[in-house]
Amino acid sequence: MSLAARVTTLIVAVLAVVGGVIFVVAHYLLGGPPTVDFAAATSGQVNVTMQTDASSDPATVPDHPTWVSYFIKSPASGSWVHTTLFQVPAHTRVNVTILGYDGSTPVRNQVWGQVSGTTGGVADYGGKPVKTVNGWNGPYLIQHTFAIPSLNLSVPVEAGPATCTTGPCTNNQHSTTTFSFMTPAQPGAYRWQCFVPCGLSYLDGNGGPMQTFGYMTGNMQVVS
Amino acid sequence: MAIDMQPESDRQPGREPGGREPDAPPPPARPWWRRPAVHTALAGAVIGYLLGHLLGNVIAGQYSQVVNSGQNDYAIVLGYVLGTLGWLAGLGVFSDLLRQMTGRPVHATEEARDASAGLARYFRYSLDHKVVGLQYLVGMIGFFLTGGLLAMAIRTELLSPSYHVFSSATYTAIVGEHGTMMMMMMSSLILGPLGNYLLPLMIGSKRMAFPRIEALSFWLTPAAYIVLLSGLMFGGFPFGWTGYAPLSVQATQGADAYAVAFGIMGISLILLGFNIIVTVICYRAPGMHWGRLPIFVWAMLTTSFLMVLAAPVLVGAMYMLITDRTVQTAFFTDDLGGSSYLWENLFWFFGHPEVYILALPGFGVVSEILPVFCRKPLFGYKVAAAGMVGVTLLSFFVWQHHLFDSGINPDMRPVFMLTTELISIPTGFIFLVAMGTFWKAKIRFTVPMLFALGFYFNFLIGGISGVYLSDVPADTTEHGTFFVMAHFHYTIMGGLIFAFMAGLYYWLPKMMGIRLNQTLGKIHFWTMFVFFNATFLPLFAVGMAGQPRRVYTYARSLETLNDWVSISSFLLGVSILIFVFNFVYSTVIARVHEEGNPWNSRGLEWQVSSPPPPGNFARVPVVLSGPYEYGVKDAPPVADLDPPLGVISNAYAAAAAEGAEV
Repeated sequence: MSLAARVTTLIVAVLAVVGGVIFVVAHYLLGGPPTVDFAAATSGQVNVTMQTDASSDPATVPDHPTWVSYFIKSPASGSWVHTTLFQVPAHTRVNVTILGYDGSTPVRNQVWGQVSGTTGGVADYGGKPVKTVNGWNGPYLIQHTFAIPSLNLSVPVEAGPATCTTGPCTNNQHSTTTFSFMTPAQPGAYRWQCFVPCGLSYLDGNGGPMQTFGYMTGNMQVVS
Repeated sequence: MAIDMQPESDRQPGREPGGREPDAPPPPARPWWRRPAVHTALAGAVIGYLLGHLLGNVIAGQYSQVVNSGQNDYAIVLGYVLGTLGWLAGLGVFSDLLRQMTGRPVHATEEARDASAGLARYFRYSLDHKVVGLQYLVGMIGFFLTGGLLAMAIRTELLSPSYHVFSSATYTAIVGEHGTMMMMMMSSLILGPLGNYLLPLMIGSKRMAFPRIEALSFWLTPAAYIVLLSGLMFGGFPFGWTGYAPLSVQATQGADAYAVAFGIMGISLILLGFNIIVTVICYRAPGMHWGRLPIFVWAMLTTSFLMVLAAPVLVGAMYMLITDRTVQTAFFTDDLGGSSYLWENLFWFFGHPEVYILALPGFGVVSEILPVFCRKPLFGYKVAAAGMVGVTLLSFFVWQHHLFDSGINPDMRPVFMLTTELISIPTGFIFLVAMGTFWKAKIRFTVPMLFALGFYFNFLIGGISGVYLSDVPADTTEHGTFFVMAHFHYTIMGGLIFAFMAGLYYWLPKMMGIRLNQTLGKIHFWTMFVFFNATFLPLFAVGMAGQPRRVYTYARSLETLNDWVSISSFLLGVSILIFVFNFVYSTVIARVHEEGNPWNSRGLEWQVSSPPPPGNFARVPVVLSGPYEYGVKDAPPVADLDPPLGVISNAYAAAAAEGAEV
């Protein structure tokens, strides 16, 4: 085989292999959900609005429409974005509103029924402040939690009056949970997680949406 | 006894089993695109995957588990399994078997296949052990580079504890892919290429015992590689290479890729080991008795026993994991009657012998190389062989040291601490043999020898830190930290990879008839040696300071050390690129032919031309002396490569008549 033929064969082989590897890796790295940017704080505060849904419209969430999921409202466009990644400024008050469109799932450990890490140590359920929720007997029922363990933040989210299965939902049949907390001065990615095992048909409810970005876990990116 | 003892010229041409009559006309040649090769294998894999996926959807699409979770593991697993079978079918693995089963002639005899020349044979299901060896070589280098790229990604992320390139989940998945790629795919790093290519040459055989099994063991590895990488398309897997339950049971579909790929690789290891064992026992040339077996063959033999005995446990565990994830068995689910400890025990019963599956071939390579460049007999040949056998035996009795901190019965800790410390004794034999061989030797510092010396330096650090970690209090302190990570990188990368490089620089002139550029080789060695140590030595300190493994952030105070390590690792990557450049430059572009015996080695494999002719030897040789009698006065030649006709069969007939074991 001539030198030219050997080199050509080599180049083709290398391109094929490298191209394949890059395709797979790029597909993986670039395939994550988008980040909603709340970095432009107004008077030291940002308002983050989310909703939880029992399942989603397959046209909006083609990957796993049957999974329970969070959505975040984009401050720029006002539309609901299927993601759990958002970016906020450091050392800023974050006012969170979560619209609950999912049904009740009692907490397995009552420790998750306690509110911690918020401003005033409370969360508002329909405007009423609560510190501890009994997820089994009410008067408030819980569907999910919003927790950032590294900030000791944990808030049980009130269950909605009805279950919406075509998220993102826009009807009025939802609960409203609000709370505030301060972002840390240290920039970085802060993992947040729902701690109510709600991965239906997964072992102990901990699989699937519970460990996948865009559904029941995400990152709060704090920027300076 | 040696089965293939009849000299070639004594044979009468005859009909191969299932083959054509000798005087039958050859079948018409098919166009290249209709001949089984990688392209038909890929087509078979795609068809198989789609078929399996469809089947999984038909079978399980309506199961409430699948509907509710939106995740059909049945479809994924069946897709992988049928895709792998399609891959093999596309290669023509089953063609001859089906033809023989149905009484039709096979397309070509083994000899005809072996004789086919050209680049295309490397993309086919070749039954020539030399082709398979080179296929393995390219494959293993590809797997290593993929794992290396993932390592670069890990070190990029760890440049800063607060500014992140990847999310924590992505980082965990990358770590898992890196670990699995390196530990799983690289299990055959030395036995695959060097073992398959060199074993028949070193024992005076014309071929491996089971050429089809040999080829199958290789062609399963690209399938495992593709399946493993495809896990990234499903989001990766969040549990590292150990796949601890229940995380692996409840993880998303990337875990299916992990389980199937590991299972495929386990089957490949079993086939590879089985073939080597039978070849060593049954295919040695006359005169190649156990006391003359090259030490590298001893390493291959002991490693093969590890593969054959340990890998079935792995395959079984992976099968159980798959059934847990699909048909809802509960082998590893505590609250349903299973046990997550069962996984840990099954996995590490394979996993620790796996460490020696990686290390023993390295021992063999460097021990084989030392006498050549010391120009002295190997000191303590029997001690070296005994050390390898000892490591093999003991490696099955140490696995629970991985579980010291898992909550096992505390009474078991001292037992496994003792067995783990015991295994350092036969391992030490290898070092004693090296010291004795070095003693008063006039060492030739060639590139293979430099890598062999680098092996001893690195493995010593890895081994001593391993003895330290085998101590329960020390392990309790350092468990799960970068200290452990530094330890096993010293043994596996500092040991196995350095030994592989030594073997490659040493035997590539034999395998390809081409010598790698020695100047580039020395640059490669020194950069790799320096930056390997610059990368991993500080990680002992990082681990002692408490930095945990598999976590994408760390204490701010460790940033400087981590930056040092990351920059060193990038330079280590550059040294690997120097090797890749040297390999490509020397084998494709410059091509300095080396047809003789450039190292003046007494190894039987060096007594034939480079690369060896089809069939390796014109006649089965008669081995006359051991391979390490360097500097021994009046030492006989290694072998008679041209024994008189009938001398072998007559000798065997006479011995058989006397009832002797032959």
